[in-house]
Formats: sequence, structure tokens, C-alpha cells
Amino acid sequence: MAFLITCPLCGPRDAYEFRFGGEDKGPRPDPETLSPEAWCDYVHMADSRFGVQKEWWYHRRGCGTWFTIYRDTVKNIEVSSNDREADQ
Amino acid sequence: MFLKFNRLWKESPLKSSYDAVIIGGGLHSLAAAYFLASRHNIRDVAVIEKKFIGCGAAGRNTAIVRANQRTQENIPLYKEALDLWPILTKELDFNLMFYNCGNLNLAHSDAAMKAFRMNVATAQFHGVNSQLVDARQCKELVPALDITDRPRFPIFGGMFHPPGGIVRHDAVVWGLARGGAKLGVHIHQGTEVTGIGVKNGKVAWVDTDKGRIQTTKVLNAAGAYSAGIAFKCLGQRLPISVLTIQAMVTQPLKPLLHHVVSSGAYHAYANQTLKGEIATGAHMDPWPNYTNQSTAHYIKHQAEAIGEMLPCLRGVKFMRIWGGLADMTPDMAPILDGNVPVEGYYMDCGWGYFGFKSSTVAGKYMAQYVATGECPEMLKPFRLKRFEEHRLMGETAALVDYTANN
Amino acid sequence: MNRLKNLPTLRIDAERVLSFTYRGKTCQGLEGDTVATALYANGVRVFGRSLKYHRPRGLYSLDGECSNTMMEVDGVPNVRAEATVLASGMTVKPQNIKGSPEFDLMGFMDGLSWAMPAGFYYRVFHKPARIWPAAIKQIRQAAGLGTLSPDFRMKGRFDEIYPAAEVCVIGGGPAGMAAALAAAEQGLRVILLESRPWLGGAFEYRTTADSSGTALFESARELARKVERTAGIRIFTHAPVVGVYTDGQVTAVQRGGADQSFDERYIEIRARSVVAATGCIERPLLFENNERPGIMQTECALRLARTWGILPGSEAVFSIGHDQGLEAAIDLCDLGLKVAVVADTREDGQDALLLDALAQRRIPFLKGWVAQKAHGSRQISSATLSSLNGHFNRELPCDLLVASAGLTPVTGPLTLAEAKLSYDSRTGFFLPNELPAWLYAAGRLLGLAHFEAIAASGRLAGLRAAQRCGAEAAAGIRDCESRLKELPGPVRGSKFVSAPRAGKKAFVCFDEDTTLKNVDQAMDMGFDVPELIKRFTSAGTGPGQGGIPGHNLPLYVNQSGSSPDSQPRPTLTRPPLVPTLMAAYAGAGHAMAKRTPLHELQKADGGRMETVGDWKRARRFSDDVRCRAEITNVRTNVGLLDASTLGKFRLFGPDALKALQRVYVSDMSRMHAGKAKYSAMCNDDGCLTDDGVIVQTGESEYYFTTSTGRAGVTSEWIRYHTRFDNWDFSLVNLTDAYGVINIAGPNARAVLSKVTPAAVDNEAFPYMGYREFDVGGVAVRALRLGFVGELSYELHVPSSWMAGVWGVLTEAGREFGIRNFGLEAQNALRLDKGHIIIGSESEQRTTLHDLGLGFLWHRHKPEARTVGDGALRHTEKQSGRLKLVGLKMEDASAQPPGDGSPIVDKRIRGYVCTARYSVALKEPVGMALVEEGLAAEGSRLAIYEDGCEGRLIYAKVAKKPFYDPEGERLRS
Repeated sequence: MAFLITCPLCGPRDAYEFRFGGEDKGPRPDPETLSPEAWCDYVHMADSRFGVQKEWWYHRRGCGTWFTIYRDTVKNIEVSSNDREADQ
Repeated sequence: MFLKFNRLWKESPLKSSYDAVIIGGGLHSLAAAYFLASRHNIRDVAVIEKKFIGCGAAGRNTAIVRANQRTQENIPLYKEALDLWPILTKELDFNLMFYNCGNLNLAHSDAAMKAFRMNVATAQFHGVNSQLVDARQCKELVPALDITDRPRFPIFGGMFHPPGGIVRHDAVVWGLARGGAKLGVHIHQGTEVTGIGVKNGKVAWVDTDKGRIQTTKVLNAAGAYSAGIAFKCLGQRLPISVLTIQAMVTQPLKPLLHHVVSSGAYHAYANQTLKGEIATGAHMDPWPNYTNQSTAHYIKHQAEAIGEMLPCLRGVKFMRIWGGLADMTPDMAPILDGNVPVEGYYMDCGWGYFGFKSSTVAGKYMAQYVATGECPEMLKPFRLKRFEEHRLMGETAALVDYTANN
Repeated sequence: MNRLKNLPTLRIDAERVLSFTYRGKTCQGLEGDTVATALYANGVRVFGRSLKYHRPRGLYSLDGECSNTMMEVDGVPNVRAEATVLASGMTVKPQNIKGSPEFDLMGFMDGLSWAMPAGFYYRVFHKPARIWPAAIKQIRQAAGLGTLSPDFRMKGRFDEIYPAAEVCVIGGGPAGMAAALAAAEQGLRVILLESRPWLGGAFEYRTTADSSGTALFESARELARKVERTAGIRIFTHAPVVGVYTDGQVTAVQRGGADQSFDERYIEIRARSVVAATGCIERPLLFENNERPGIMQTECALRLARTWGILPGSEAVFSIGHDQGLEAAIDLCDLGLKVAVVADTREDGQDALLLDALAQRRIPFLKGWVAQKAHGSRQISSATLSSLNGHFNRELPCDLLVASAGLTPVTGPLTLAEAKLSYDSRTGFFLPNELPAWLYAAGRLLGLAHFEAIAASGRLAGLRAAQRCGAEAAAGIRDCESRLKELPGPVRGSKFVSAPRAGKKAFVCFDEDTTLKNVDQAMDMGFDVPELIKRFTSAGTGPGQGGIPGHNLPLYVNQSGSSPDSQPRPTLTRPPLVPTLMAAYAGAGHAMAKRTPLHELQKADGGRMETVGDWKRARRFSDDVRCRAEITNVRTNVGLLDASTLGKFRLFGPDALKALQRVYVSDMSRMHAGKAKYSAMCNDDGCLTDDGVIVQTGESEYYFTTSTGRAGVTSEWIRYHTRFDNWDFSLVNLTDAYGVINIAGPNARAVLSKVTPAAVDNEAFPYMGYREFDVGGVAVRALRLGFVGELSYELHVPSSWMAGVWGVLTEAGREFGIRNFGLEAQNALRLDKGHIIIGSESEQRTTLHDLGLGFLWHRHKPEARTVGDGALRHTEKQSGRLKLVGLKMEDASAQPPGDGSPIVDKRIRGYVCTARYSVALKEPVGMALVEEGLAAEGSRLAIYEDGCEGRLIYAKVAKKPFYDPEGERLRS
């Protein structure tokens, strides 16, 4: 189902307008001191959790903004950050 | 003809210990259980399924089987898988309904023909029948194709793979369940794995919502749910994106398509089931999730695509669309590994598009791995460590678009 | 057949006769008929044959719950005759028959049903294995319903619209209409969807009077008129909903016709709130031969008479389980049908007024009785009724058996919306107990039967839906809630499923010929939940999409006691709720490819256009697939290439350089005015994703190109990798704003100097230079690059001026014999130079080091945290990787190997990326990705081409570039 994603600039829009940008893993690590294991963890590994996760989206067919939302992966709907607190 | 209606498999009470516990009641699990019991005489095996067997990707996939993959690490595996269908049909005494109709992949550009040439030559090098065909030959194989330059993606040619076809996926589920259960495998439906106990770096037990099971060997073969379970039970992070793939069928028709036909450019395949329905699909929604949701966008897209490729089908009605989950890795090859992160823990996941066609052979070799603790040669290329070592497999040449890394 | 006349409920125009042909015979119907009603009026009773057993099937319901009346109409297979409005000149044929529907030569299959128990195909045909291929052939021939020729082309006008609304109401009965009115009163935009051609729902043809003495159909029509007059409501009739998706997305397909601009159109709606008021259909009664022609549901019989003026039979037996069944018997009796008896599965609870009415008409009434078996081969001739315990029975002659177990709610839209349904023991319905926040349910589907109560429940849902959209509806909601409490609530529903001793030929699913016996067999084999039984017996997987078995299967399974669930559990529903033509989904059709500003010119010049990513581009300009003339012309003279598909970007702002340093592997701080820099972007695996040139065009202002394939993702790529940094830069995608002309060859300068006032000699505009000047009076950006290995200029021209500048260059080049070259010539030309094309010489896993481009990487800028830097460090010295090498054939006169051919010994050691005959070198050259052990110059490469049957050809690793290794021609 094309669920809705709330773009901070454009408001709720159909999910197909967006590109998924992965789970939020924080800023880029320093490449010089990065072990292969830590590198892999940052680049490839994911929690793939059942439930709410914080994640990145890009409004590809819209304003071109990267932003984060919280989404419940079991229901595949955006949830407010309050719901996330309740979930954890 | 006078068939008896005995239970396909019997229900057994959950025991407090098993030699091996397999998480998930899908094809990879049931196959692993069957091969553990039938080839390694390990019969004290529990298959733990949260809902009912075959309710996940096992019953939602395209049912297409083939062995014309891109790399030498993969082809032998899928070749053996193709060879297994008739063997298992006999062994399980259950008609898996392997319909050996052959697969035609369409190329719509020079670059696609080049890619096919590599696949075809690689297959031939491994003794697998696969051929390049031109547009006219495509039309001879599938008369419904439009080979004019009218479509958005005109047809250049294709790759024809006679040994492939389709298999009745539910039959494989039921056949393996029956076969395994006969040998003593316990199938526990409606049972959820809630934790994995580790002692001194070794698997010690598995917790379920129906009670604790002592065991030293656990195989996580829960398909798309594997990654979530690994994280939940062991905190293990995996390079997996769990994505929904959609498929649909039309109303049944008298025979029209005699081969599986597919196109990368259109992101679509179509084949006619034995019942006469045209099964089609292939689209992947690029947002990780654990639902089986279908979308309005996709059924519309598919109608547009199929209507271009096979224009006569515009006069046919879609009857049903559904979604299933695929656990995609960054290199579109699975993760088959053992004793990572703890001894006694095995994983068979990350199959992406290829989970159905590989299920029996993966089960066979994972059973060997679990039984002996030694990784079979066939599975060695599929280690988890390859991602950390910058050694992605070459099953896809193009950049995959479902990770943020491309 | 004579139609009933002067009924106020009729929807046909007796004056307007339409001719159509059925099985080659001309028949007559009336305006307003469906194909099915017209055929019925013409005496057709057997409409087709069933899938497996070839049993005769007739008109059973009028809402498409089964495939009984699927026919071929105007060459289109599987058309539901009862949902298709008759048009003059239609050609109608029955399906799945050999012979005629009445005398089907495959009819003997019915006698073989014992050989086809549940899931029989899983258990036979595989022993011995050799019979299976033959069995497949037989199964395929027997399966399937309609026939379609590979040459068939769907005719008709197909359209699509995407309306938005605050409230979308599904169902145009009293509840839906009241909901729409309530929401519209709040000033909201409302969309009302109704599957039938008119509003009114199940009340549209009922003549019973309500409490105020008005006939129900009059009340329904009055409500419809009010809805039609209300400005805020957009009504789509004859538009069945096919899909309901998360967050208020609803799709429908509307039937049009001669008086509309479309034959079918796809409607995709996004609403803030959705009201489901879909009402009920009937639940089939299960008994032996319960699907014989002549057996139909209550509403079907009643609507045939009331809506289409067709008395469905002459002598009827009724076996029903709800008051509406009694009402229909009475009404049909009044319209002239002889009702032999009415059997009601309910022991008590009937409306006393209806029982009085039956008595007045001397219609015998049997409480606690049910149809047990229908007799007659092609059509029903009599029916056996039995007491519920099976102890007593009576056989009565009849040509019509009106049979219905009761009602069942249409929950499809609720299920699709992932509402949680649970079994309600009062109504016997699956009712929603948990709805998504945007969805509201109302009306008859909740078990209400009273008109006022249904309308009030609709109004309540409409107000709640409006409230979610921000309307101040709290007071209205309170009023409505208290009003609803005063009105009659949900009625008790019948839970009766199956007559005594029904089994072998009692069909739980008509489409798939699934009998109760099959269900029993499946349960014996351990399939204990309805969803699995569905899979094993295929019940509910046919064209009727579960309409017939949807409710009965879970009830039956639950009553059998072998289910692990204490309450019946509903089976799933999937979109489309109504079978929908691919043509309808495809809609207007808009497969588009991007075209460059020179597209038409390139075509006019003989360009063979091919798909390249999003674009169409000219591959070559003659029949010569090797493009020798084009290649030679560039090497010795001058050629023009349309390279407009290149990605083009402007990047500016105080932090622009930081952004460049983040994504490009080189040190981007070392840029010189008027000089272009070649660099590459990698992903975090250190693998090459893009290459291009960058020029600094001002203070913190840059212009850069990307490969064609990356143009669409470059903005998001750069923004993604800087998303944590809050850097101040702007990025503009100019890909479509500029076209690119590549003028290449030794005479390129001579041509260019004719059309520009700027100095373009080697000193003024050297290799890798960047200039801005006029060409033919148009300001262009010029880069002096050498992808094809000759003196060449890349002119970036505003798209709207492309044709003009191209014309100026063509004109100026005429004296030199300037000509086009296409992608294939470019491909061969760049190969001479060992220049790579991403995706051609690289895979997803190919690092910068693997390609020999490691020199581009500047390792001493860790503060930039360049994408790919970590992996480039880790893999720099890594062994065991595929490396890009140049190759030449051992036999210089050999053909170049096919692109993609593997390089082998005992195993595969690499593969040829691209190989072409080099016109300049007069021998094949190529590039390959090979294992390190084979990468040394002079290594022998054994090439395994497709179809070679083991005959290898040999090449050797050769130094790149093959042509002009010192690059003198580029710099000259």
C-alpha cells in the first residue's frame, strides 16, 4: 500500500514519491581509523527490527529533502515520535 | 485412484529438548528438516513456525525455477536444485507438479544482450542448457509478444533456458512436511520463537511462547523474518533489506503462454499456471517492512508493462494481487553460514528473489552443515564475512537500488 | 418473453429494443438490460459450464459472486454477463464448452468427480514419472475458462483520473448516501462510489412500506435525488471499488459507454477519511446440486422481476433463512409467480406481518425446513425439502428454487484496509472490531436491517469521517448516536450452512467446483484453518474472488469442530475486489522515454534509435553494425555526437567545495580557472559509481557532468552524504536544460573556429580546458576532452538552442564532410583508448583500484570523510580481485569475442567486458575483468563464447591504451 510519508516541507505525500535512505545510523565515521568490521556495520548492517525505527527518506518526486521519520515496520505506517517512546 | 485422506503430517507435543531446532516453517526449513532426517539420520528435529507452514514466501513466490544465474558460485547450486524436483517428487511420493516449460528472458538493449551472453556462456560452461535467441525466435516461442518497435522497450532478443519452468509451491511445502514428519520431524505451528539462549558462546536453548527447548543446534531459516529474529534473539545485525515483492494472477484462460517470459526493463515476468491463470509480477517496493501489502501503484504499473509486452493480455482481467517478503542482500546472493556469532547457530537467509528455486538444495546442504558442523564446499562462497572483506558476489552487475549505498 | 410492465421500480426502457447475437442467433433485449438479463429474457437458462466437472451453470446472483455467467463478449473472454450493460450489436458466446451449454460433450466429467477429490493432482500423475508430461498437457487443456488469441487486441477507450477528497464513501445505498450528505453538510469534498449503475443499494427495488408509509424504493430514490443535488458530492456510479489501501487510498474502475468519454476508467482516490457502507450479499445455501440452473438467490429473483421486468420462473420453491426471503416470496407471488412453498431454516424469529402475508396468499410455509437436493439434469425440475434434522422430506416439482441461507456483509474493503474482523454471534457476521483511524463502517454490513437505522448509521459515520478532517461535528455525532440507539439494532442472523446429508455435490465454491466433501477431505488431511483449506481445495480462488465461499467456508469449518479456532475465522480478500481488465488498469497509457533536443534531427539523419536508460539515443547511422564509416570519419576527419543525456549540474554556495570533497575521490580543492578536472565518485564500498568532469566557474561555484545513468540520482546522492553536516550549498540539475554536442576529429578545430569568435587554437584552448564563448551567436560552455581519443570539444548548449547550434556546426563542417556518429562508433573509439564506460567495464563490486583508476583517489583528505575512502584504504592492497585489463587476440585476424564472454580454465576466471574491431589498429581490441593471476601483460586468456561447444579462442593481455598511448592526438 502506498502509505503516506510526511515530508517536512510538502506534508503527507504518497510513499512512492520518496526514496528510502536506510535506518538512521548517525553521522559518517572517520575513514582513517575505521576497522573493516566497524565500516561494514555502518555501511551494510541493519537492525531490521520488528517495530518502530528511525529512518531516512528523500523526497525524490518533490522538494528534494532528506529527512527522518519513525515508521512501524510491522504495520508499515509512519508513526509519531511519541508512539516510538511508547513502543520502547 | 482410491485415495486415503490421512493427515499429511501428525501433530506432536512440543518436547523440552531436540537435537536441532529450525526456526521458520517455510521451504528452506522444511527442506533442511527433511534432509537432516533422511540423509543424516538426525530425526529429533523441531520446526518452529509462528503461523502455519508455507504461509510466508513459500506460498507467495513466483514458483519459477531455473538455473541460468550469472556466476559460477551460483549456477551449480541452482542446477542441482532443478535436478532435485523429479527426485523429490518420487521420494516424497507427492506430485510437486514441476512444469518444465522453459524460461525466456527478454533483452531490450545491446547492454542487456551482452549481459545475457555472459549468463548463457556461463551456463553452457557448466553444462546447463541456455541459449541466446533473436527477436524473431522470441516471437516463435511466445507468439503473444509484440516484437515491433511500438513498445516503450522494443525487444532485441532474449535468453532461452529450456530446463526451467514452474513448480507448484504449496505442493513442495506439503510434500516436505509430510516427508519430514514421517521420519520423525516435529512441526510446531502457531509457535513463536522468542529467544535463543547462549552459554559459553554456544547455543544452549531456544525459547518459544509455548516453552523452552534445550538444544545445541539452531538453524535460522525464517526467510524474510530471519534478519529480525537474528537481531531480536542475538542482537546480530545483518546486511539485509526486507522488502515486499508483489505478484498477481489473471482469470484462467485456455493455454496461451507456453513458457515463462520475463523482462528486466519492464520489471515483469509472466507465465501461465497449470490452472490457466497468467501469473505475473516482479516489482519490489523499496521500503523495508514486515507486511505483505500490495499497492495500487503496482497493479497499475504491471498492467501497463504487460500490456506493452504481451498486448493481447490487455483483454484479460486481473483476479488477485498479493505481496510477499524477500530478504535482499547488497549483492543479491544469500548468506549461508554457521557458528556465527555463536557456536551452534546456523543461518540460511538473504535469498531475495531466489528463495523458492533454491529451497530444496539449500535445505540439503544446510542439513549437511548442521549435521557435520563443517561447511560444505558448495556453500563456502556465501559466508557473511564477505561483506566486511569487500568481496561482494557478482550475482548482480548493476548497482542495486534498495540500499542507500548506491 | 413478455416483460412485467408498469412497475415503478423498473430500470429498462421497453420502447428501446437492442439487438445482439448469442451463439450466432439474433436476440433482442431492452435498453437497461445487462447481457445476463437479456439472455434470461430470451429463455437462456444454462449460461456456461463449470471449470472442473463441466456442470451446467445458470444465473445465480446478480453481483458477480461467481463465474457462472462469465461469457465471451465481443471477443473478450471471461466477461461477467450480469455486470455488463447490454449494447446494441454485441456478440455473446458461452465459454468452456464442447458443443453447447445445454449439451456439453465434456459433461461426462461430472460423473468422474469421485476421481478428483480435494488436492487430487498432488497425489496422482507422478507415478510413473513419465506420465506427468502427458498429464500436464491434458490438465492445461481442461483448465482455463476463456480463450484468447495471441493476436487479440483490446478495443475501447480507457482513461484514468486521480480525484482527491476529504471523505470517500464506498457504497451508494442509504447508509453511504447519508454518510456523503453528512460530510458534505460540513463543507467537505466528498466522493461517493457505487458499483451499480444507480444509487439506492438494496432498497432500490423493495416496495415494502416503511414506518411513514412510503415504499422503501421511493425513500431510497428520494435520498439519491438529494445526494445528486448536493454540490460537494462527486458521484461515480457503475464504479465498483477494486482496492482500498493504507492511509485512505481507494481505487475503483468505472464502466462508461457510448454517452461517456470512456468505456472504462481507472479512478485512484486519496481521501483523508473513508466510509465503507458496502451492505450485504447473500450467503449461499449448501445442499446437493445447489448450483443447478434454475436455482438463484433471493435478490436475484426479486431484481429480475422488479428491475428488469422478468418473472424468473413459473413455479417456485423458496428455501431461505431471513425475512427478506419471505418478503421476496410475497412480492414475487404478487407479481404472478406461483410459489409452491417457502421453507425457512429458522425455527422462529420471523416477522409476524410477513408470516400473515404468506398465509393470506395461501403460500405454504415450513419452519425449520430446508432444500436438501435439487433434481433435474440441465435445469431444475423438482426439489426435495427436508426438516433440519433430515428425518422428514418432501419432493416438489418446480422450475425455480430460490435459495439463500441469509445475508453476509461485504467486508472486502474492510479486509483490504487491514481492519480486524471477528465473528459476531448475534448477526452471524464477521464484523470489524478494530478499524484503522481513517476508516469508518456503516449500514447494513453491521447487521442493521431497518431503513432509518441504516441511514442514521451512515450519517454517524459521515460525521465521524468529517470530524477527522477537522469539521466541528461533535454535537451532530452525539445527536446521531442517541437517535441510533432509539432505532432497531442489528438483527439476528441465520447461522445455518448446510442441509442434512449434503456433501458430494453440494458446492461451497462454484468457480472451482469445490464441494463440502472436498472440504471434509482437506480437513481429514490436517488442513484445519480456512486459509489452508482454501489453498488445498482452491475454494475461493476463482474469478468470483471468494464471493460464494467467503463466509460459508469458515462457518462450515468451525461447525465441523476440527478447527483449532473457537470462533470462525474469516478468509482473506485481495485486490482487485472485482476482476479488472489490464486495459482498465493501464488506463490512458503513458510509457514515456526521454528524448534529446536533437531527437528528430538524429532520426532524420538515419539514426537508429535505441533505449538507453531513460532515453532514446542513436546507436548508429547506417546498416553497418560495426559503424566503420562513422569511426573512420572521427579518426581522420570530424564527427558530431549528440551527448545530451550526460548529467549536468551546477553546485554553488559557501560549502560547495566541502560537498565536492565529500563525494569525489580526488582533491577537489586543486582546481584551476579555465581547467576541467576528471574525477570519480565511489560508493561506500569504494566501487565506482560515476565519473565526469568538474570545472570551477566562479568563487564557490562549480559545474560538473555525470554519466547518463547517474543524472537522476546525483542530487540525492550528494545531499544524502552531506545530510548531517548542515552545509550551505545549492545544487541545480541542468541535465534537461542543456544539450551536449561532441565535435570530434582532427578537423574539429577547423570547423569550430569558423563559427565562434573565440580563439580555439591549442594555446588559447588547450586539452582539458574549459571556456565559455559564442557558437553561432549562442553562448555555450565548451570543454576540450578526449573520450574518443581525438581532438574534441564538448559543447554544452541551452536545450532550446541545440538544434540551431547543431545546424551551424553541420553547415560549417559541410566542406570537411562532417557527419554524425552514434553510440556504437563512440563505443569502439573509446575502447581504442582504454577508456571505461561504467556498467560496461565495471560491475557493482568493481573498485576504483580494480579499474586501475586508484590514482584519482586522494588519500590525504580524511577530514572530508569522502564516500568510499574507508573501503579504498582497505582494498588498496587486497589480492584475489577481478582486475580490468586490455586484451588483443592471439590471432589478429580473428573476430573480436562477444561482449560478456567468460574467460576460463577449469573454472571461470573473468570475462570480456567489451571487444571491438579497431579500425585504427586493424585488429580486435578489448577490455576484460580477470582474476589477478591473469592480469599481467602477455597472459593468455582462453575465451569461452556462447555456443562454442568447448572450442575456445585465445587472447592475450595487452597494454592500454591501444591507440595513441601518449595522448598526442588529444593534445594536438
